Amino acid sequence: MSGIDASRISGTSLLAWRNLSHDRARFVVTLVGVLFAVLLMGVELGLLLGFARTTSSLVDHTDADLWITPAGTTNVDIAGRLDERRRFEALAVPGVAQVDQLMMQFAFWRKPDGGTESVSIVGFNLATGQGRPWNLAEGAIEDLQQDDAVIIDRLYAAKLGVTALGQTIEINNRRARVVGFTAGIRTFTQSPYVFTTHRNAQRFTFFRPDQTTYLLVRLRPDADAAAVRAALQTRLGRVDVWFAEDFARAAQRYWLITTGAGSALLLAALLGLVVGIVIVGQTLYATTVDRLPEYATLRAMGAPNRYLYRVILKQAAISAVFGFAGGMVLVGVVVLVSTRSTVAVAMPPGLIAVLALLTLCMCALGALVSIRRVTRIDPTSVFQ
Amino acid sequence: MTAVITLDKVGVVYGRGATALAALQDVTLAIQPGEMTLLLGPSGSGKTSLLQVMGCLLRPSHGRVQLFGETLAPDLDVEALAALRLAHIGFVFQHYNLFPTLRAWENVAIALDLKALPRARQRERSLQLLERLGLADRAEHYPAELSGGQKQRVAIARALAGGPRILLADEPTAALDGKTGQGVAATLHELAHGSGVAVVVVSHDPRVEPFGDRVLHLEDGRLVDDRRPARSSA
Repeated sequence: MSGIDASRISGTSLLAWRNLSHDRARFVVTLVGVLFAVLLMGVELGLLLGFARTTSSLVDHTDADLWITPAGTTNVDIAGRLDERRRFEALAVPGVAQVDQLMMQFAFWRKPDGGTESVSIVGFNLATGQGRPWNLAEGAIEDLQQDDAVIIDRLYAAKLGVTALGQTIEINNRRARVVGFTAGIRTFTQSPYVFTTHRNAQRFTFFRPDQTTYLLVRLRPDADAAAVRAALQTRLGRVDVWFAEDFARAAQRYWLITTGAGSALLLAALLGLVVGIVIVGQTLYATTVDRLPEYATLRAMGAPNRYLYRVILKQAAISAVFGFAGGMVLVGVVVLVSTRSTVAVAMPPGLIAVLALLTLCMCALGALVSIRRVTRIDPTSVFQ
Repeated sequence: MTAVITLDKVGVVYGRGATALAALQDVTLAIQPGEMTLLLGPSGSGKTSLLQVMGCLLRPSHGRVQLFGETLAPDLDVEALAALRLAHIGFVFQHYNLFPTLRAWENVAIALDLKALPRARQRERSLQLLERLGLADRAEHYPAELSGGQKQRVAIARALAGGPRILLADEPTAALDGKTGQGVAATLHELAHGSGVAVVVVSHDPRVEPFGDRVLHLEDGRLVDDRRPARSSA
């Protein structure tokens, strides 16, 4: 492990590397500590981001400019009812190009074996496609024109007792038939989305033909979005009118912050960070204490304190780099496995960068105790 | 000839009140370049404290210290003292104090790294120094693979690497056998005379005495004798 070209790297880098590599057992302990801290932070933050994306996925996958929701709505999964007359009132507002209905309602899904599951019925306008399922893996959207047709996600097929297309089940005691599968449309509530036409959704959920849940507004290209939103709010009265992005963030905020689910994940990630700091701190400190005579010699030779700090910080950085690399391999495995589960662990490049930064900070914080110790070294101790 | 180190009524007191211990008392002396000065005396006589004061490792409790004619301010902070050591002073220790995880040449190169010599030149310069001290064939060895004499010569090479004008050695032969100890003493003597470095050696070892150009004798923290032997072995 000491086989590096010492004539190409600085003295502090050489000392840092040799201090670590000549005590392999301790170095391995440090790396394992960093690795598991990275794994814990990565999985928890990945889950947080995955959940955040899941809670707003329905909003994110429409191209509506504005969402009109029943007053007091906090998220896309739970809402009251809107009267269809509101759609015509909205269409009368200048700047509005198109208004589509979107239904969202919990229902009971009776499996072929008689068991029951809760599902979220999503009823959309088949003609415009606003609110339609994405990532269709089997079947065709047009198949939903049939009266009892629904599309579900493969991730929930087993949970819903569905093994093949064409299978019939019951939704709120009404016959339904699975005509398509999507891939990777998850739900935070664990009540799987069941996509169907707006008309079918009304029937499945006992909504009256003039009732819906949301109105999705497309604006004319030259419309002033803020002005139209304000006009809609004034015109329609007891509803909420949201920009799509705002509604998506509201949904994320509700599920992750208001319910406390996000706090639990953040707390676990913080725990990983603390565990990492403690392990790196302990092992680096033990290495530093073992090497105190060498640090005292450096001080006696005239090394400034910052030279000693650099040695310790580079030890921390080396531990961070190797531990991060190992940790990210494990995180990658978890992300890969999560693609086949109903719980998504997201790991975009931005989060990888954040994790790298957190790992570096964690190791640097772990090095602080060692730095404090060498600051107090008495160079005359080399004569004892 | 200008003295490299001048001490004027220097005293060092450890502790306070009833437990205070005077390690050095009113020591006045001047160390000249190009000669090897021996500091002799029984244990507890203040030799190491004197070496530490001369090496800018220890601030005296009272008295004045001059380095190359410049008086050191009594309130110099530790970083300023470290900078003085780095610029002017090399140390050789009784137990070598080599870095066990570094090869011989890398141990020497650390002193050059402290002086910010470009990395490309550090290896070259370190190998030159080791060759000068007869260790060219041991450059790639770790300290654990060297004999006591070889380790001490690596330590001397490291002390010389920064081009110091003062070399302070604390019992450099104490851990060495007779012949090896004499060899190290001779090396230090040659350095003083060949390079003009002021070499100060603290020693109990009578084998070193013939190599001293000047012998200072300390007892109970006082300088009780300062003589120049009639004939140096060099």
